[in-house]
Amino acid sequence: MNTTLARLQVLQRQTGAQPTRTAATAPRSAARTLPAGVAQLRALLRLREVPTVAHRANAADRVLPGTEIAPGLYLTCARVPGDPLPTLLDGTFDRRSFIDPQRVLFFDTETTGLAGGTGTRAFMIGAARWRDGALEVRQLTITTLAAERAMLAEFARWLEPTTILASYNGKSYDAPLLRTRYRLARMADPTTGLEHVDLLYPSRRRWRGVYENCRLCTIERRVLGVVREDDLPGSDAPAAWLTYLHGGSARNLCRVAAHNRQDVVSLARLLLHLAA
Amino acid sequence: MNALPSPSTLPAHRIDGAALAAHLEGKYADRITGAFTLPAVPAHWAPFPPGLPTAVVDALRVRHVERLYSHQRAAWDAVERGEHVVVVTPTASGKSLCYTLPVVAAAMQARAKALYLFPTKALAQDQVAELLELSRAGDLGIRAATFDGDTPGDQRRAIRVNGDVVVSNPDMLHQGILPHHTKWAQFFENLKFVVIDEIHSYRGVFGSHLANVIRRLNRICAFYGASPQYILCSATIGNPQEHAQALLGAPVTAITESGAPAGARRVLLWNPPIVNPDLGLRASARSQSNRIARMAIKAGLKTLVFARSRTLVEVLTKYLKDVFDHDPRKPARIRAYRGGYLPTERRGVERAMRAGRIDGIVSTSALELGVDIGALDTVVLNGYPGSVAASWQRFGRAGRRQKPSLGVLVATGDPLDQYIVRHPEFFTHATPERACIAPDQPVILLDHIRCAAFELPFADGDTFGPVDPKVFLELLAEDGVLYAEGGRYEWIADSYPANAVSLRSVSDGNFVVVDRTDGRQTIIAEVDFSSAPLMLYEGAIHMVQSTPYQVEKLDWGGRKAFVTRTHADYYTDAIDYTRLKVLESFDQCVAGAGASHHGEVHVVRRVAGYKKIRYYTHENIGCGDVNLPDLEMHTSAVWWQLPQAVLDGLFTSRQDALDGFLGAAYALHVVARIAVMADGADLQQSVGSGDGAWSAQADASGRGRLRALAGGAPALGAIERFTPTVYLYDNYPGGIGLSEPLWQRQAELVARAMALIRGCGCRAGCPACTGPVLDDTLDPATSPKAHALRVLAALSAA
Repeated sequence: MNTTLARLQVLQRQTGAQPTRTAATAPRSAARTLPAGVAQLRALLRLREVPTVAHRANAADRVLPGTEIAPGLYLTCARVPGDPLPTLLDGTFDRRSFIDPQRVLFFDTETTGLAGGTGTRAFMIGAARWRDGALEVRQLTITTLAAERAMLAEFARWLEPTTILASYNGKSYDAPLLRTRYRLARMADPTTGLEHVDLLYPSRRRWRGVYENCRLCTIERRVLGVVREDDLPGSDAPAAWLTYLHGGSARNLCRVAAHNRQDVVSLARLLLHLAA
Repeated sequence: MNALPSPSTLPAHRIDGAALAAHLEGKYADRITGAFTLPAVPAHWAPFPPGLPTAVVDALRVRHVERLYSHQRAAWDAVERGEHVVVVTPTASGKSLCYTLPVVAAAMQARAKALYLFPTKALAQDQVAELLELSRAGDLGIRAATFDGDTPGDQRRAIRVNGDVVVSNPDMLHQGILPHHTKWAQFFENLKFVVIDEIHSYRGVFGSHLANVIRRLNRICAFYGASPQYILCSATIGNPQEHAQALLGAPVTAITESGAPAGARRVLLWNPPIVNPDLGLRASARSQSNRIARMAIKAGLKTLVFARSRTLVEVLTKYLKDVFDHDPRKPARIRAYRGGYLPTERRGVERAMRAGRIDGIVSTSALELGVDIGALDTVVLNGYPGSVAASWQRFGRAGRRQKPSLGVLVATGDPLDQYIVRHPEFFTHATPERACIAPDQPVILLDHIRCAAFELPFADGDTFGPVDPKVFLELLAEDGVLYAEGGRYEWIADSYPANAVSLRSVSDGNFVVVDRTDGRQTIIAEVDFSSAPLMLYEGAIHMVQSTPYQVEKLDWGGRKAFVTRTHADYYTDAIDYTRLKVLESFDQCVAGAGASHHGEVHVVRRVAGYKKIRYYTHENIGCGDVNLPDLEMHTSAVWWQLPQAVLDGLFTSRQDALDGFLGAAYALHVVARIAVMADGADLQQSVGSGDGAWSAQADASGRGRLRALAGGAPALGAIERFTPTVYLYDNYPGGIGLSEPLWQRQAELVARAMALIRGCGCRAGCPACTGPVLDDTLDPATSPKAHALRVLAALSAA
């Protein structure tokens, strides 16, 4: 809040633009020609110069796991062996009758922030499903903004009309966020109309007051005995991706991917636990 | 003192506004400096348009509307032609039907959606009630709802999906709707009309912000393939079409001929009688307003008194309550209405007024807007509201029942007031003020381009309104807020930019007033940030519905003031002063023997203390200190300086020179406000040194006193470089374009100020020219008035 229209007019005069002389029209015609350069605008607005923080990393540190299935879109696949599953799971914990495990798709997104609204995007989508006696984990990561369309299209291909989504707080967070992204990309939202088991609510019903909170990492440690090593806190995820985007090291982004993979694995185990 | 006689001399039976006017004019001819009659205007009718659905016609007939006023039909026709429209007609001329008809017709025929924006939540609620009433009358099935900060979360989704008409405010659109536009996809896809009422209130900073919010709205609509038509409404201003076009950035058709009938209106300009001719001192406006209102209410006329400050509202309310509400068992006949009351309290006053249960209401400009309070007979303005347009709008509150009504403007000692009542022709002939916005002000632009980039990415070649946003986008990319890739600028920061941009002011956070009497913890009022230092200092008497509370403790950081009920027989008035420092001169020119500049200044405003003023006698019975943080801003200003050598030649002492500068500043401020039609609050004057080392103010006797940076009073002779400076500055952070035009006209202003002072009949200076001077023994040749003329003559080119 420290500029005036007048400063602008001075700058214009300095740049050789015609000074505006009619009082009534001055404010409108004045700003039609804005400062030519960022430095000039910064001076006009008296904004501080912010040094760019990105440290260019060497090529070896920039390697991401997986396959680049479209420009800027990486896919990783992994299989986590597990015990044989029953044909049907008891869905009472989520106030439904039975759940066909073959239809369930666990998913979790990593996003550029928690601010909400149209400015937040997912840069990573992790998903898991039971296939052939194992948990099949697939993760999509974008390394350019333009790759978002391809990521959304790929994720849409993983969903079928019979898919049951499973998530942790996905009804309030991940699904609406993806809906916004599909809308902005002018693509149909593939999650619309799908059944969705959000494990946060049954977990809260069962463990509220029992453990210190009902965050997924608490529940998986207390209930499933999962101990994470070298875990990157979720709040550091946006910075990890931005660092990579600006040409920095992939190290923390790989840790985000590990974190995300563990999330969907834990989701699957938690569902089995709740249904048991 | 020159009291009015007892109202019992009036006819005892109920009279109308014309009769009261005649009575006042007969009795107080010497106080009435101007009187005009606005004759009754007959209605101009037009038939319902053929395209209006029969069900709507039936609904209107149920509500006894058998045909339209000509302007309502003209608006329909223009909308049908696909044009943006601005309707400019007086208060209570049926403006809302101008947009209701096309909106309702389109909703019924094509399930088209409409977005209404009102400047306040109260007006939004009125509008929804009216729409639903019409819908019920004709079983039209129109779904209308308000959407603002008070809308419960569980209703929001239903409103987004099902609302035909969503009624909101610019702040909510900016912070709550546009940044979540994907949730509103269905709404935007079908959005056909955007209605913005009261556009005269979107001036200056607020208007400049709104123009940018509209640019963002249009961007979002384009994304969903919609290009809504705008229907705007305004009270009378000098440039409605130009203002509407500046807000929309598109051609707009103006409809300015009202077809609504109006009762005859008598308007009186009232100057309180002089009580001391040498000093130019007059009886106070508030005692005169109080008595005129008292006479009107006793005569059975529903009366509205407008006062310029919240404190004055409370004082006048108390005076009227002392007469009409002394029996606590009966419902109140007198109520106060102002910003800062809780919404429920205001709704209550509005309802009581509409129902006719209140006989007198005292208000600030809060009632200037289209809040529906029903019919009134008399409007008293305690002081000139600062513009001709606002005066007429307030007078327009009276005479809704098409019977003769009365409006009285009571002048205060304020020079602008005195100028107006002494030049009645100005009041009748002046074109109403022009609304002015600066949507391309770079700070505002940067804020909204940031918000817009959050809502939708910018691609190379995209424009923002008429602006090429490239340099702003590059700046935001440099700061890591946006990421440039493949010719697109995408939002990548983890923040919600709209929350950091307030459309109305730069200040953050209202203060709440907490009543702690007898261990209570009740919130009784809210005060906006910029008013808080003037109203909530410790020791202040804070009044709510003229009940006095004393501020015991102010929690500045927590934005809370704790008060207890008190029975003081005085009220308090803050003493504040302002110091300016030149940051940069953009342009300068020769002004006589000195120079006139235009540039950027740093303004510090400090509340130094307060006075206690006893009711009725208005005597000063004490004072107190205030210790609050300074309010600071950068803004633009025009200023005049004379070199020290010239001063030494003109004046025998520095005190004389200082008095001259104070008088010149006073007079320049008067003529400048009239020249650019500025509200008093928007353009301010000050005298100080160019480097901000000291500022000067007139003391109680009218002589100049210095205040130094640290707060002490330096000796005049001790100042090394004595460069007194007259400043006129924009009272908005960042400036709002008033001072540059003033600088262009600086020679004319100096000449006008000289003419003002020369033409004034006082001896040594008075509130109408150079400011009040108490000492009536001064030699006219060495009075502040003469010194002011010397300063102005030295600044004049001749």
